[in-house]
Amino acid sequence: MDPSVAASAAAPENGVEKGAVPKISVKGVTKVFSSKRGEVTALKELSLDIQDGEFMVIVGASGCGKSTLLNLVAGFDHPTAGEVLLDGRPVAGITPECGMIFQQYALFPWKTVQENVEFGLKMKRMPKQERQERAARFIDLVGLNGFEKTYPHHLSGGMKQRVSIARSLANNPQVMLLDEPFAALDAMTRQVLQEQLVRIYEKHRKTIIFITHSIDEALLLSSRIVVMTARPGRIAQEITNDLPHPRNADVQLSDRYMELKRHIWSSVQAEVLKSMEVEAGQ
Amino acid sequence: MTSKSNSSMVFISVGSLVIFLAFWELLCRMGFIEPLFMPAPTQILARAGKMLGDGSLLQHTLASTRRVMVGFMVSSLVAIPFGIFLGSSRFFMAVFDPFISLLRPLPSMSWIPLSLLWLGITETQKYSIVFMGSFAPSLLYIIEATKGIDPLLIRAARNLGASNLDVMREVILPGSLPQIIAGLKVMLGIAWTCIISAELVAAREGLGFMIMNGKEYFQTDTVLLGMVMISITVMVIDVLFRKFERRLLPWTRQ
Ligand SMILES: Nc1ncnc2c1ncn2[C@@H]1O[C@H](COP(=O)(O)OP(=O)(O)OP(=O)(O)O)[C@@H](O)[C@H]1O
Ligand SMILES: [Mg+2]
Repeated sequence: MDPSVAASAAAPENGVEKGAVPKISVKGVTKVFSSKRGEVTALKELSLDIQDGEFMVIVGASGCGKSTLLNLVAGFDHPTAGEVLLDGRPVAGITPECGMIFQQYALFPWKTVQENVEFGLKMKRMPKQERQERAARFIDLVGLNGFEKTYPHHLSGGMKQRVSIARSLANNPQVMLLDEPFAALDAMTRQVLQEQLVRIYEKHRKTIIFITHSIDEALLLSSRIVVMTARPGRIAQEITNDLPHPRNADVQLSDRYMELKRHIWSSVQAEVLKSMEVEAGQ
Repeated sequence: MTSKSNSSMVFISVGSLVIFLAFWELLCRMGFIEPLFMPAPTQILARAGKMLGDGSLLQHTLASTRRVMVGFMVSSLVAIPFGIFLGSSRFFMAVFDPFISLLRPLPSMSWIPLSLLWLGITETQKYSIVFMGSFAPSLLYIIEATKGIDPLLIRAARNLGASNLDVMREVILPGSLPQIIAGLKVMLGIAWTCIISAELVAAREGLGFMIMNGKEYFQTDTVLLGMVMISITVMVIDVLFRKFERRLLPWTRQ
């Protein structure tokens, strides 16, 4: 293993205070699903701290428990053991503080773009005028002006995901959780959205947890990368991504980029192979 | 299918109807069919003219339509919120399930004696027959419709701060509306069967009464006219319902 990479774990950058309460703290979390076919341990004693303002990307083999972890942070589900803390307090239920972006967009088909973006504000009982103005700002931010009155089924996948990002941002969550948000998009749209997300992150300084299968995507976006083990999921490795910004073509061709990519790939590959063995043995 | 072949299909349909009526007319004129058994189309038309003239045709049609509409509206207005509530609460679904299961198989006809005992030959009795005939099946349609909602949308709504009531109003209701409306369209047809049977048994006006009364006086043309009027009215209401449906579901428009 490359020592220069391993040594750079912990010590987050971006002016994050050390010793402060982490934004999100996953403490010894185990999640067991029981179904008719028996029990599945999706996560086992997983611990992970995410500091305020971090852009953390999780990679790992399919079925290793990434979505499960995100669902626990969002409060959609409860850990079997251990706890998830947000600002030092246990996550009790679904909380709007952690805005979730789904791979399948999850837009309301009966609402226009404008109404979708206004949804969270409407739930807060914000007056109509105010929420219209606020929604308009975020529609503008994701570059969808002119589509305010369009229904989602008329939009392309990339546009739908932008609506979903605007809908989440308008609600001003402290944390954004993104579960393979760009996996269903074509390469070019994906790149546009990645750049847009980086700009949004730099401007609004949210804490972000982002799941992906793409190591390139992880390297482009993250300030820290976590590789998960095959099921039951635990942390295999944490890597601080010290690539300079903006991460343009030059950076992507640099030696450091290649080094990190090779390093992450070898770690992910080992876990993917393990998870394939587990599946074959079932 | 092109519009040309569509219009030629309409032409064929109209043609087949005209030929059928002409054949029927011819058989009656040539004396093959006894008028008391089956009057000629022109005879039915003459009866329609007469009844339009004295206003009775309109009176009977409006009476039945009003009864269906009132009973059906009340039933839908109760069934929609109640169905959505039951569809989103497993606990209350379990509480009400035995009653719904018992009510559902009862044909609306079986309520007629009880409703006559309780309410007499009144308008309220007519409304209640329509209500009893359409409420339980409507409720089941609506509960079923709520099950088709993508759970991810409920999650997304909760994640954006929606309460349970918000989820019902903002997600489950609009999300199941297309199926609810499809179900209500079927229920509207059933509501008509309810009211006609109620009027056949006991009434002082309405298309069912008109048919029964025609039979009492051996006016077969009145009987047939009443039946034709039921068909026409239900068809007209169906068209109006479709218009209303498109208006309620703007997002399904292309
Ligand atoms: N509700 C559930 N009931 C039973 N088992 C579940 C449930 N949700 C997830 N699992 C199981 O838990 C394991 C982890 O699932 P999870 O969806 O978190 O994986 P993932 O890492 O997100 O995978 P992918 O990369 O394919 O999205 C899988 O084996 C899955 O089958
Ligand atoms: Mg997943």
